[in-house]
Amino acid sequence: MSGTALLYTDWLDEMEIIFESLLNGLLMGSIYGLTAVGLTLIFGVLKVINFAHGSILMVGMYAAYWCITLTGMNPYLAIPIVVPLMFYFGYFMQQFVIEPVFKVEKDVREPITVIIVTTGVWYILDNLALMIFGAKYRVVHTSVTGKLFELPGDIYLLQPKVYGFILTFISGLLLFWFLKTTLMGKAIRATSLDRDAASLMGVNQYKIYRTAFGIGTAVTGLAGCVLVPFYSVYPSVGIIFDIRAFIIVVLGGLGSIPGAILGGIIVGIIESVGAMYMPSTWTELVIYGLFLLLLFIKPTGLFGSKHDF
Amino acid sequence: MKALADSKANKYFLAAVLLIAVLIPQVITSPSIMQILILTLFYAYLTSSWNLVGGFAGVLPLGHSAFIGIGAYTSTILYLHYGLSPWFGMLAGGVLAAVIGVIIGIPTLKLRGAYFALATMAFGEGLRVLVENVDTIGPLKVNGPRGLLINLTGNSFIDYQFTSKASYYYIILALLLIILLITWLLMRSKIGYYLSAGGEDPEAAAALGINVPRYKVMAMAISCFFTALAGTFYAQMFLYFYPKSILGLDMSFEIAFIALIGGRGTILGPVLGALLLRPLNEFTRIYLGGILPGMHLVIFGLILILVMIFQPRGIQEPLTRLYRRILYRIKGS
Amino acid sequence: MALLKVENVFKRFGGLVAVNDVSLTVEENQIIGIIGPNGAGKTTLFNCIAGAFPPSEGKIVFEGSEIGGKKPHQICTLGLSRTFQVVKPFASKTVLYNVTVGAFAKTNRRVEAEAKAIKVLEFLQMDDKRDVFAKNLTLPERKRLELARALATEPTMLLLDEVMAGLRFSEIEVMIELLKKIRAAGVTLVIVEHIMQAIMALSDHIYVLNFGGLIAQGSPAEIAQNQEVIKAYLGDDYVTVED
Repeated sequence: MSGTALLYTDWLDEMEIIFESLLNGLLMGSIYGLTAVGLTLIFGVLKVINFAHGSILMVGMYAAYWCITLTGMNPYLAIPIVVPLMFYFGYFMQQFVIEPVFKVEKDVREPITVIIVTTGVWYILDNLALMIFGAKYRVVHTSVTGKLFELPGDIYLLQPKVYGFILTFISGLLLFWFLKTTLMGKAIRATSLDRDAASLMGVNQYKIYRTAFGIGTAVTGLAGCVLVPFYSVYPSVGIIFDIRAFIIVVLGGLGSIPGAILGGIIVGIIESVGAMYMPSTWTELVIYGLFLLLLFIKPTGLFGSKHDF
Repeated sequence: MKALADSKANKYFLAAVLLIAVLIPQVITSPSIMQILILTLFYAYLTSSWNLVGGFAGVLPLGHSAFIGIGAYTSTILYLHYGLSPWFGMLAGGVLAAVIGVIIGIPTLKLRGAYFALATMAFGEGLRVLVENVDTIGPLKVNGPRGLLINLTGNSFIDYQFTSKASYYYIILALLLIILLITWLLMRSKIGYYLSAGGEDPEAAAALGINVPRYKVMAMAISCFFTALAGTFYAQMFLYFYPKSILGLDMSFEIAFIALIGGRGTILGPVLGALLLRPLNEFTRIYLGGILPGMHLVIFGLILILVMIFQPRGIQEPLTRLYRRILYRIKGS
Repeated sequence: MALLKVENVFKRFGGLVAVNDVSLTVEENQIIGIIGPNGAGKTTLFNCIAGAFPPSEGKIVFEGSEIGGKKPHQICTLGLSRTFQVVKPFASKTVLYNVTVGAFAKTNRRVEAEAKAIKVLEFLQMDDKRDVFAKNLTLPERKRLELARALATEPTMLLLDEVMAGLRFSEIEVMIELLKKIRAAGVTLVIVEHIMQAIMALSDHIYVLNFGGLIAQGSPAEIAQNQEVIKAYLGDDYVTVED
């Protein structure tokens, strides 16, 4: 009798651990989703994969880091400073770096040159960061860093991840509302459906591109603010999120915002549950493998439009 | 390109360039300069192989380092375990790379180009992570992150080992000439016309009877085959390599950069790009690397962006124009 | 036997029926006109025939074999070629290069393909443009290039999607003469066109589409008299009862 009881408590413990890692995967995954939203938005409108995406996240993380470190403010108060800053960073990057190249290839359906130019931006940003801030890993100690929420059943969740989860959904809904109801949002959606038709309708496509790029970078800046309280900052931090974000947007369907968040959650859960059974490099391999498999069987992803590939 | 082959002056010019290329090792004795030259040709060769897909077929492969790795590991493992001469191992690696390239290409080359770019990139990174985490495949040693060491045998043609840098120089020069010749022949053939057409407008190409994905997959196979040969060359020249040195993103991106700066989809673009960027890369790394780590990569990125804005077809365009003008002037006088 | 037979073809996009139960027959060496107001489904019907997408229902038979659902490149190889309403030249290549791509459909040798391309260019009176880059051509020249490229594949039948749109009156005259020449060379033509003057002058038989469905067919003279057609084009108000 006592033997089975022992087994039962073992099983309960096991369930609790699995549940905890599921929850953690959900939280971290939603933050991954947030890091990918900007990428998918920019792709949807410009049809360009922005390889500088991870570097933009890195810039956002440094911006949040310095905001918090220099003033000692609550980490989430950095958001109203970092997000608008990042919007203009993206807006001008599009205007002065990407747009001139884009115009040269404007008749091409898929501007390869532009893609490569974004990788040039990636190299420049990452290495400028290396020259300015050095290779050192920086950790910021905020009022939420390392704090836990305790749930019944011995389940602990990291506070900054919970806040990140909440912010992901708030910003997702805001973005959704913006694209559905505002004039600018509608113009962005029209351009992403058919850039020629939209520009015939009097939409200034280059202004739309800049704004869309700006919004994409702003959301990524938000992701930076969310990450900084529990993730260290260093010049090449972007690349880890970069590749993950690429996989997430394909998983969710290139161009789809809900797809990006859901894709992020799937990747987050695979990582955290996988971490219980294998070393983290192997979970990384599982994700790469799943990604390639997905391209074989359902390249449109979960939410991708059939006409968009 | 056509003008380059037709006129008599061009033939003389090509012959002169070739002669200089052949004589260089007789004149230059400094091993470090020879090393830079060999790496320049090595990258010119790699980029020319890449160019068959990335240039002519109009898609963007971002994981070509994976095929370099496949070449290096295949020939080296076959040599270390079975004593197979790396010359044959090199061909085996090429075939394996072509097969894998086709497997990746078939599903993705039908889709929008973004998928192909991301799939090749994920494959390249995935392969690096895999190799770093594997010590053996069955009985075969891979050695994870420590890489593979080839035992020194001294001068031995059958072992693909030479004591003089000049030998390696001539091997890579020959490989480069072969890929350039193949590119030139391809571009003048039906395959070349069909590839370019499919790269420019897949819909119009299909309406003219072209099975666009099939030709892209074919280009991918050829490209991967030749890329893998470079892997064996790298392994035999350094006699040591590890995952980070030949796999991973940096090399894949550098190849794409050289192609774009030189002139994507042209025969001479990759060579000119490598001639400009490789020595620049070495010198900035040597002279600025100590003071400002990463500066050479910032310069790389800046050159890329400026060239793309002001010379979107790469530096080959103003250079050929300059060459024509000089030729014209000589003829005029 | 009819060269092309379209039997009860439907094409649906979600809830929208773009082509609704269309049947038509094309005999060898005819010129068939397809007309209809904007959005009548003409281009969609073309796309179904040329393989850009499969028909949702119905049969398309070309030279006795079913081609519905085949890929565009397969259909072209069978001898059914098309042009695009929005021209799609290979912009960074020369005119000769563009046409040579088409000519490779029937040969593997470049020398032969180039010779063929030059012949086609001469036939269409544009061989003086052979070394011009396609992106530097004017619109009428681009339309003619589109035609040359399709002709170079040596089709038995050509689908022409608005090759005259955007041309000036004198240019239309030239194009009409060219199309007559192409027919005289033994190619069957199916043309979608808005320019009535051209379609009336060229067609042996005309099909009229409206809202995806066939509303009339007949000789040019019959179509010009047809009340349904006039109503479709101009609306009810314009139909006058003739005495």
